[in-house]
Amino acid sequence: MSGSASGTATAPEVAEDQILWFPDGIPGFPYSHRFVLVEMAPDSPFQILQSADEPDVSLIVTVPWLFFPDYDFELSELEQRELGITSEEETVVFSAVTLDGEHHRVYLNLLGPIVVNTTNRRGRQVVLVDSDLPVRAPVELG
Amino acid sequence: MLVLTRRTGESIVIGNNIVVTVLEVRHDQVRIGIDAPRTVQVHREEVFNQVLRENTAAVASAADRANPLLRKPLPRPAAAQPVRKGPRLEPKRVAPRPPDAAEPTAGPPGAPPPPSAGPDDAPSPS
Repeated sequence: MSGSASGTATAPEVAEDQILWFPDGIPGFPYSHRFVLVEMAPDSPFQILQSADEPDVSLIVTVPWLFFPDYDFELSELEQRELGITSEEETVVFSAVTLDGEHHRVYLNLLGPIVVNTTNRRGRQVVLVDSDLPVRAPVELG
Repeated sequence: MLVLTRRTGESIVIGNNIVVTVLEVRHDQVRIGIDAPRTVQVHREEVFNQVLRENTAAVASAADRANPLLRKPLPRPAAAQPVRKGPRLEPKRVAPRPPDAAEPTAGPPGAPPPPSAGPDDAPSPS
């Protein structure tokens, strides 16, 4: 008997204090409540938002203002309450990234920003109401 | 699916505190008013589904995380600008303002009159 834990194909262990809690999951993945943010490369603008509940669910995310400096939306009072947000300073916003490898394009979802309260680590994908922001905003990479 | 027939001005009550009212019917368009507590999210279905579909595509994309596209440098103009960190927060709603708290219409005392009040339209000497 080996006594080793190697070879077990479970989701990577995550430290409890690294967990971001999405009470409603995200649209399309309502059963993923716990996520962790994983760095891709030290200097990459992209990170992976990995579900700790469903190993197959992960999204590439980025800070939208790196690509769209004028990006702007209002977080409704309802969303603020759901997230327990009291100030802009404690919020972090990510956009989900979609790749079109065939056409060498990268898109950001500006219509459904992923907002995280860094104080209580609650997160939520906000579907903006009455917004004409694109769900697939093309990004030109150098 | 429960199907109900309603006329203009008639409503449907859902649960204890959600009221859906048919406001106007014109050709194939129906205007609907929704009274719901502020804790209830209301979305146009196609907008919500757009985000749902894009999430599915994004999750599929994440399998391609080694794609060299993601290792390209950031677009230059964006990288040169300061990055905002947060969204604007909708101001918290408090009790409605009394009508006399509306914005002041008169300028501060001693301020010169606005230029439009000048005698521009006085008849010019002939």
